[in-house]
Amino acid sequence: MSIETASEKTVLVWDLPTRLFHWCVVALVFVSWLSADQGWMTIHLASGLTLLALLLFRLAWGIFGSTTARFSNFLHPPRRVLGYLKGLKDGDRLLYAGHNPAGGLMVMAMILVLLAQALTGLFANDGLHFNGPLALLIPSETSDSITSLHRLIFDAILLLLWCHVVAVGFYLLVKRDNLVLPMLTGRKPYSHLPQGVNLAFTRLIIALLLFFLSAGIAAWIMIEGASLP
Amino acid sequence: MAGEASARLSAPAYFISVLLLTLAGFGAAMLARPAFGHAVLQWAGLEPVPRAVPGSFYAVRVAPLFRDHCIGCHGETRQKAGLRLDSFAEVMLGSRHGAVVRPGDARHSELFMRVSLPPSDDRAMPPSGKTPLTDDEATVIRLWIADGASPTVPAGAVKGAPKLVTPVTIPELDLARAARQRAPLAAAVEQVQRRLPGVIDYESRDSADLEVDASLMGPRFGDAELAMLAPLAAHIARADFSGTAITDASASALAAMTGLQRLRLANIRISDTTIRALSSLKKLHSLGVSGTKVTDAGLASLRQKGVAIYADTDVH
Repeated sequence: MSIETASEKTVLVWDLPTRLFHWCVVALVFVSWLSADQGWMTIHLASGLTLLALLLFRLAWGIFGSTTARFSNFLHPPRRVLGYLKGLKDGDRLLYAGHNPAGGLMVMAMILVLLAQALTGLFANDGLHFNGPLALLIPSETSDSITSLHRLIFDAILLLLWCHVVAVGFYLLVKRDNLVLPMLTGRKPYSHLPQGVNLAFTRLIIALLLFFLSAGIAAWIMIEGASLP
Repeated sequence: MAGEASARLSAPAYFISVLLLTLAGFGAAMLARPAFGHAVLQWAGLEPVPRAVPGSFYAVRVAPLFRDHCIGCHGETRQKAGLRLDSFAEVMLGSRHGAVVRPGDARHSELFMRVSLPPSDDRAMPPSGKTPLTDDEATVIRLWIADGASPTVPAGAVKGAPKLVTPVTIPELDLARAARQRAPLAAAVEQVQRRLPGVIDYESRDSADLEVDASLMGPRFGDAELAMLAPLAAHIARADFSGTAITDASASALAAMTGLQRLRLANIRISDTTIRALSSLKKLHSLGVSGTKVTDAGLASLRQKGVAIYADTDVH
């Protein structure tokens, strides 16, 4: 829904799995931070593994998902990203059904950094009595180094989150383009779409299957970790 | 539409707002987490880094405990739980979960709580498998925190502190090394020992430095006897010529004893002439001249060099 015309006709652009993924990641990043900060490591483990499952799902959904969820739809060569940013500065109104080139880059960066965070978390420790599910597979010095990396990556996540929020605010307040609402409702005003756009949506059952597969991998990691001496 | 368009923020206004909000958020985080605030201010050089004063209770009693028990996991190379205990400033910054020391309140200080837990407790520090702190060591930490966790309070000023036990390490004697060093001197030493029995010997079992005590010979030891020491002069570290018959004529022979650290010349007939000759001895740190004709003026240059002078009222 656009700020300019509340009654304007809208079109579905974001499928349910993509939206759920987005808001679940928001919640899980917050829970992960809070639990680590408070030393609630069991909750931290659960949120980290859930995040890992979601990220694995998102990687698969980027290949098999709906048009706007696919990497091929929103990953562009650097020259095109720079061109888009230059156009933004010059006041051009370039329309994209899904992520714009700069947004696509941000999404990919976020997925990769979060994935790195989830994976390093598997081998990290809290310096006291908690070890990540696979930390006992490696020497404790290596686990300590990975823990330092885990902490460093969190700073990178904070930086990316800041960039993300600043960018969304920029579109909302400067460009008068609300990006948050479509991520909640899934719908964008018709006037915000490029002409002749043709979106295809993958069936929900495929999303469910992919999610169960991703969750299965995360669960297997957990079970393997629990069986370590 | 036109009204809404006019409500738009300009890009510069937006980014200035973002900058201000970010700075405000950063400030709020610094207030909410004092340790974070201090770390940022110290990093930026806006706040002095607190340091423990040498000789303080922290430096003498507390820091060694951290060094011996904690910094393996909470030091420069590893910072478990984000905690470093290798400097006073780091201790006071605390861990990722907040302050570990509450000055004046040991009972609620995480640091003291952890080190005073029984080893069977999962939260006990050092963790199982590591040597736990003794009761006295835990008491030292408790008293330091209870006394305000100061970096300056002198070591002796904290009442009730268990007595400091300083381990004494007796070094192994390296007799082989001493034998190698003595080899070039051995013949000359033996010769002097034959001619002047009981006057010269090695300073200790593992040293090649020599000690001369001519005071037992009294007047029978004069300038001629002192001249016999010439081949060994550079190896003499201590010498006592008190009560002998040496005179200013031996000034140059004494000045040749370049390794001299302690020299006693009490009750002999020497004057400032000899003292002037001694001013070239760089290692000399103690000189006894009681009962001589040496004057204060003559001793001035040695005093200036930091040589401890032992004289009596006879010194003019």
